[in-house]
Amino acid sequence: MGAMAMPLSSSGQPCVFSPKLHQYLALCAQDGRLRIWNTDSKTLHQEYVPSAHLSATCTCISWGPCRTVKEGPQRKKRKSEAGHAGEQVDMLALGTAVGSIIIYSTVKGALHCTLDGGHSGGVNSVQWHPKDSLLYSGSDDTHIVEWDLQTGKTRCKWKADRSSVTSMCVSPDGKLLLSAGQTIKMWDLETKEVYRKFTGHATAVTTLRFATTRPPETNGLYFLSGASHDRLLSVWQVREDGKDKNSVVSFTLTDEPQHIDLITSCGKEEVRCQMIQPCKKPLSPTCTVQMSGVEDTPLPIPLLATALTKDTSSLLLAYGSRLQPVMERVEVNTAERHVCLSRDVHSTLSLTMETTLSKVKTPIVNSKSKVLLPGLPGHQAPVKAPLGSEKRKKGTDTKEMSIEERLGEIGLSEGGAKGAPSLQTDNFAVLLVQGLESKDANILNKVFQTRKDVLIKKTVSRLPLPAILPLVEEITKRMQGHPYTAVLMVRWLKAVLIQHTSYLSSLPDLVSQLGVLYHMIESRVKMFHKLSKLHGKLYLFMTQVCSGRTCS
Amino acid sequence: MASFKPTKIQIYPQLGAKVTQDTLYWKNYKAPVQVKEFGAITNIDFSPLAPHNYAVTASTRIHIYGPFSQEPVKTFTRFKDTAYSGRFRSDGQLLVAGCEDSVVRLFDVSGKVALRMFKGHTKAVHVADFTSDCYHILTCSDDYTCCLWDIPNSTELTKYKEHSDYIRCGATSKLNKDLFVTGSYDHTLKMFDARVQKSVMTMDHNHPVESVLFYPSEGLLVSAGGRYVKVWDLLKRGQPLVSLKNHHKTVTCLCLSGNGQRLLSASLDRHVKVYNTTNYKVVHSFDYTASILSLALAPEDESVVVGMTNGILSIKHRKTSEEKQGPTGQPRRQPVFRVFVKGRNCVPKQDDFLVSKSAKSHLAKYDKQLKRFNVSKALDTALENRKPEITVAVIKELDRRGTLKNALAGRDEQNLSQLVNFLIGNVVDPRFAPVLVTATEMILDIYKAVVGQSSVVDRQLVRLQELVEREIDYQQDLLEVLGMLDTLFASTLPRKEVPCPVLHCSVLVHELVPFII
Repeated sequence: MGAMAMPLSSSGQPCVFSPKLHQYLALCAQDGRLRIWNTDSKTLHQEYVPSAHLSATCTCISWGPCRTVKEGPQRKKRKSEAGHAGEQVDMLALGTAVGSIIIYSTVKGALHCTLDGGHSGGVNSVQWHPKDSLLYSGSDDTHIVEWDLQTGKTRCKWKADRSSVTSMCVSPDGKLLLSAGQTIKMWDLETKEVYRKFTGHATAVTTLRFATTRPPETNGLYFLSGASHDRLLSVWQVREDGKDKNSVVSFTLTDEPQHIDLITSCGKEEVRCQMIQPCKKPLSPTCTVQMSGVEDTPLPIPLLATALTKDTSSLLLAYGSRLQPVMERVEVNTAERHVCLSRDVHSTLSLTMETTLSKVKTPIVNSKSKVLLPGLPGHQAPVKAPLGSEKRKKGTDTKEMSIEERLGEIGLSEGGAKGAPSLQTDNFAVLLVQGLESKDANILNKVFQTRKDVLIKKTVSRLPLPAILPLVEEITKRMQGHPYTAVLMVRWLKAVLIQHTSYLSSLPDLVSQLGVLYHMIESRVKMFHKLSKLHGKLYLFMTQVCSGRTCS
Repeated sequence: MASFKPTKIQIYPQLGAKVTQDTLYWKNYKAPVQVKEFGAITNIDFSPLAPHNYAVTASTRIHIYGPFSQEPVKTFTRFKDTAYSGRFRSDGQLLVAGCEDSVVRLFDVSGKVALRMFKGHTKAVHVADFTSDCYHILTCSDDYTCCLWDIPNSTELTKYKEHSDYIRCGATSKLNKDLFVTGSYDHTLKMFDARVQKSVMTMDHNHPVESVLFYPSEGLLVSAGGRYVKVWDLLKRGQPLVSLKNHHKTVTCLCLSGNGQRLLSASLDRHVKVYNTTNYKVVHSFDYTASILSLALAPEDESVVVGMTNGILSIKHRKTSEEKQGPTGQPRRQPVFRVFVKGRNCVPKQDDFLVSKSAKSHLAKYDKQLKRFNVSKALDTALENRKPEITVAVIKELDRRGTLKNALAGRDEQNLSQLVNFLIGNVVDPRFAPVLVTATEMILDIYKAVVGQSSVVDRQLVRLQELVEREIDYQQDLLEVLGMLDTLFASTLPRKEVPCPVLHCSVLVHELVPFII
């Protein structure tokens, strides 16, 4: 089967390979810039920013037909090297959301001309006439305009449909034009009359493509159509007798089609024309190619554009980010039904750019100048001067974290970050004071769970004096429990006693304040002697048992 | 004949928090009833009229709930945008509410359509309240102004433009119809007198003020903002009295208990704190699941109603006196009527003997076994009991009788593991350790021959050993702490001259010289 369609993820921005040799990839990214990438060297060839790129975003893009370059003196030498060197892609037509069309010349690397005044709505599709220097554009204002590129004026304008024209295609011989609105219409370009009408798609048709070059007199003219949110590619036959209301065959896809490229070599065409009989069941693709990442859970990578190369067995793919697409030639074995290519997009993605190519200049900002941000004046909390720590700075410009998140972060960074223990203890001391003030069990538990002696010591030393007695009270409460948890509290108590000896000894009612604690400890250590003996006994037994086991 | 004395269960002092009158009072509420509202609940207000319905303002509606219904008895939905501050008039007939669309609406409690619409503010109105004479309305808005409105004419009486930021709280005096207080995000509280057209008192709270509250006597004013709750003395021209910092996030709502003896504050940190108003100490604290925006107490503290940011309204009702005793299970069967009628007319004669019937004592299961000298069974039944105090008391009694060894001996694997399990749970508890350590030693003595035969028991013994090891480590630490404390205590005692053989006076003087200079 000759036709191949790629399952593509839906995306708004246009992206097209140049015809024939697929030497360039033209891509309009979200930032409104047109970038042309060289597919051989995988580098950025040109970058162009339309003057109205923010107000009039590019909606569609189309390469002009290859044309023979006027031969300069240096060309003459190379003429013998390659036959196709004389044919070079040049013009690029961009339709915008405000109805104007921009013609860009890649040879000049500059704007060629702008076509204005044809449309009142956004342009949905631009198509070049294969031979004459004509351009067709279909728009939201339901009209199709034929432009003469020599003069830069409209040659003809006619109402094509009741709703907006979403897609168009000019036949390879340049005699017919397909347009899709509510229905797919085939126009005779000489008379500008409807030649055929086809109905079948429920949603807006996004892609149209002629499959054959046959003249319409015979039954051998076919074309394909794909619609948005539709996973079928329909094939239509243009019959002489006009009995061609329904699509002859449809191909199923796993996703919405975005770009169709066909192999139209003569030999295979015959075979296929015979094979395409009216068929009820949708046909499955012979081969699908899918891209996925190399992460633990591979996510499909959106394909931006595809093209079949001359030898028909390899594919040219562009995928990844729109700002830096990755281009790759892939040999596809059509015997396998499903090919999944896994690529690491993140490692190949780099945001460095050669500044010489870019014509965009970033303004040089003086370090002393202030940047004012929009917002209500006077409603921002007074931000304290950063304490010279990067973490603080980060905290001020990001969204303010809740206490729980902050605690969680502290818990995570405890193991890793050794560089800034002072910062952590600072936070810990604040949290501890807050917890003691509000007696919040959650906060206290988190703080008391720490096992790092340095952290405990610094936290306690940073504690304000009024918080010390509540802390001792809290520790006393927590020391009565199980030894596994109480052993942590002893560290805190020791730290308090060591760090704040002078403060504690200056308290007039120290004995009554710490009396409860003292009695509790005393009653607990009363059993020390007996417990030690018991432990010795148990230890002896257990070692005996263990040794007995190892012997046997 | 000496009767059997039941085992004496020792009562140990309760660990943990002290139980005060306040904790008993504030814990005496039933499990909360939760109602889901459409949005964050910004205000709750109780009607002053019995049966004390309450208005809950959430999202674009005000629901009125009855004291015991979980369904709203009435709903006001005529708001174009988020409603705020639905409050009742002192006669319970009218309800006023502000709105995000700056229009203040006045409703009849029984009606549906707004009786009056007060238009004049340019931004959201977060506060609307009636003055004490019932004829005027106070409103405070985000356009930095507060207004007094006349209800009958629905006209604006006075507008005060003294604040320099959003006004998010306000309160009218219950004793004087002309006095009211507003709290603003410009960190100040201002007291206005309608008779003089300007503020008469300004207090600086230092944080955006979220809530203000008059004391019933109106000599004191409470304000909440930031993490602080502050009390101001109005009779001393707004002198700050106390500043309380018992929350770790912004305090959003204040409320007084029915008798005015307790102050409640609710905060975004999900706590409600109860303060004693004589010493301003926290006497109790409630925990909730989400950040609290509004809080109200029913008259006589019959219920605590809390509104949270996630739109959940939590209602706690006070337990009635019957419910306070707790469920006693099956009600005890009363004797039938016949019992009382029998022998009613009987009059004792001269020669009759009076035979006193000894009261039948009710013995616990383990006591019954002890009485029959079934020591092993007594221990078994005691082990089945959930309370370690009882089990320990039985072990102690057995030890006193000298039959503990018999009770512990002769057990199979399952029985022994049950016993060791109990020991693992309680041997390190300082209350039970003296009894249980002896028991453990006895068990080891008895079963030392069979140790190593059962993997289950062996594993438990290893666990017991680890536990005891930890406890010993812990007690070692505690002993060190004890030493530190001793030193500390000694330093506080009045010092006596202790002759020190090492240091001579000359050395001391020599060392002190730099300090003196």
